[in-house]
Amino acid sequence: MSKSRPIYAPFKLDLAGKAHLIVTNQPEVPELEAALANIEIWTVQTIAPGVQAPIRDNTRAFRAVPELFTHLAHRLSRAATGLRLYAIGTESFIWDAHNIAMAAGLSATEIHLTQSGPLVRRVICTHCKTTIEDVPQNIVTCPGCGAALFVRDHFSRRLAGFMGVKVDAETPGQIPAAEVFVS
Amino acid sequence: MKMRIAKILTLSPSIAKFTLQPVSGALPVAAPGAHVIVEIPGPTRIWKNAYSLVSSPEDRGQYEIIVRRVEHSRGGSAWLHGHASAGDVLEVSAPQNLFPINRLAKKHLLLSAGIGLTPFLAYLHTLNAPFELHHLCKPEDEAAFRSLLPNAANITLHTSRNALDLNALLAAQKLGTHLYLCGPDNFMRVALATAQTLGWPDAKIHQESFGGATGGEAFTVHLQRSGLTLEVAPEMSLLETLEAAGLAAPCLCRGGACGECELPVLSGLPDHRDHVLTPERRAANASILTCVSRALSPELVLDF
Repeated sequence: MSKSRPIYAPFKLDLAGKAHLIVTNQPEVPELEAALANIEIWTVQTIAPGVQAPIRDNTRAFRAVPELFTHLAHRLSRAATGLRLYAIGTESFIWDAHNIAMAAGLSATEIHLTQSGPLVRRVICTHCKTTIEDVPQNIVTCPGCGAALFVRDHFSRRLAGFMGVKVDAETPGQIPAAEVFVS
Repeated sequence: MKMRIAKILTLSPSIAKFTLQPVSGALPVAAPGAHVIVEIPGPTRIWKNAYSLVSSPEDRGQYEIIVRRVEHSRGGSAWLHGHASAGDVLEVSAPQNLFPINRLAKKHLLLSAGIGLTPFLAYLHTLNAPFELHHLCKPEDEAAFRSLLPNAANITLHTSRNALDLNALLAAQKLGTHLYLCGPDNFMRVALATAQTLGWPDAKIHQESFGGATGGEAFTVHLQRSGLTLEVAPEMSLLETLEAAGLAAPCLCRGGACGECELPVLSGLPDHRDHVLTPERRAANASILTCVSRALSPELVLDF
């Protein structure tokens, strides 16, 4: 595995925090080992197209990830020190959340990331800068410029994604068989 | 560096500002938070005390330090207050900075008590983000500290008449705030415990304490590798005892803040007085910070 790939710890509440906000793009909400008063869980769930799941207890469901992130930035801009943020989900989701949190002034020790869900990647085409979400395998055609891209095993924390470079630059048309991501 | 005392400004009966100029050449630039070790000649021995620079980091012609005469002083500050005069030449170390400003902070919250204000006086020259300074002092020192601070809404002096609500202050800070603490031990302990109870991460708490060695019971130290057995007198620190025996013991801040002087303990029970070792490492009693810590047992054996 490439050295640039982050290593994630299993989900665990950081009890040094006074308030806890969990954001996830996965359907399963984590089991909480501690019954604390100050825990909120933000999810992305729809019960039918365009219909938002009802809010229950300390869980708040958003219609989609962009809506969740907009509210996250707003919440963090008003939060007091003592908050811990937990992001659980696909690698691009948790690093997007991480980058929003860092911009809000959280430090790395106040952010806990857990990778969960399908091993899909965000790929950034190095030729036209198009971003391709949820790519499951290491060869993908760029919807922006049509290039067949090889997904390099190098993770950009800033972009929360992987670099895609033209796979047939040497011999146009010669595209190897794709392999499904196993990490 | 040889430096000459150019000016002594008495701010209160126990607080004085010293202006030091190099005997020759220009001084190194010292970022805000830096300190120097000043060698103070005493009648029986040399004292090495750390003082924060309060002068502007840009000023390469002189350093300014502020010295409080410590009650029951072991010698250093009493000599500077009682015997030093303009024209005296002292040996001063190059500046070291163990208390730098965190430039990623969105806001700086500076809390000091007593003479712990000094590093923040250097900060005031260059702070790049919004800040709030709260300084705690005794009523008799209020005028002296006020004379050192600009009159601004974000700078508050607290005496017994105007007590600081530490819990409310720390609970109200937004996520990008970094906390800086400098002052005597009991102030640091209370402020640190309050911040940690409110969930402040260690990464956002920066602290420096120059209480320095306070002395205590005499004890014996046996140095395994050097084959020496030394007596640490009540008014001497362990580090000073090693230095007096001609040993090149590691040290940097001489105030229990940096960890440079840590030595392995082979047997005996250290009396940990530093700000470096974690609770786990304190409990393990496997090492000691020689500049401030002493012994609870009559003898310590060190791997040195």
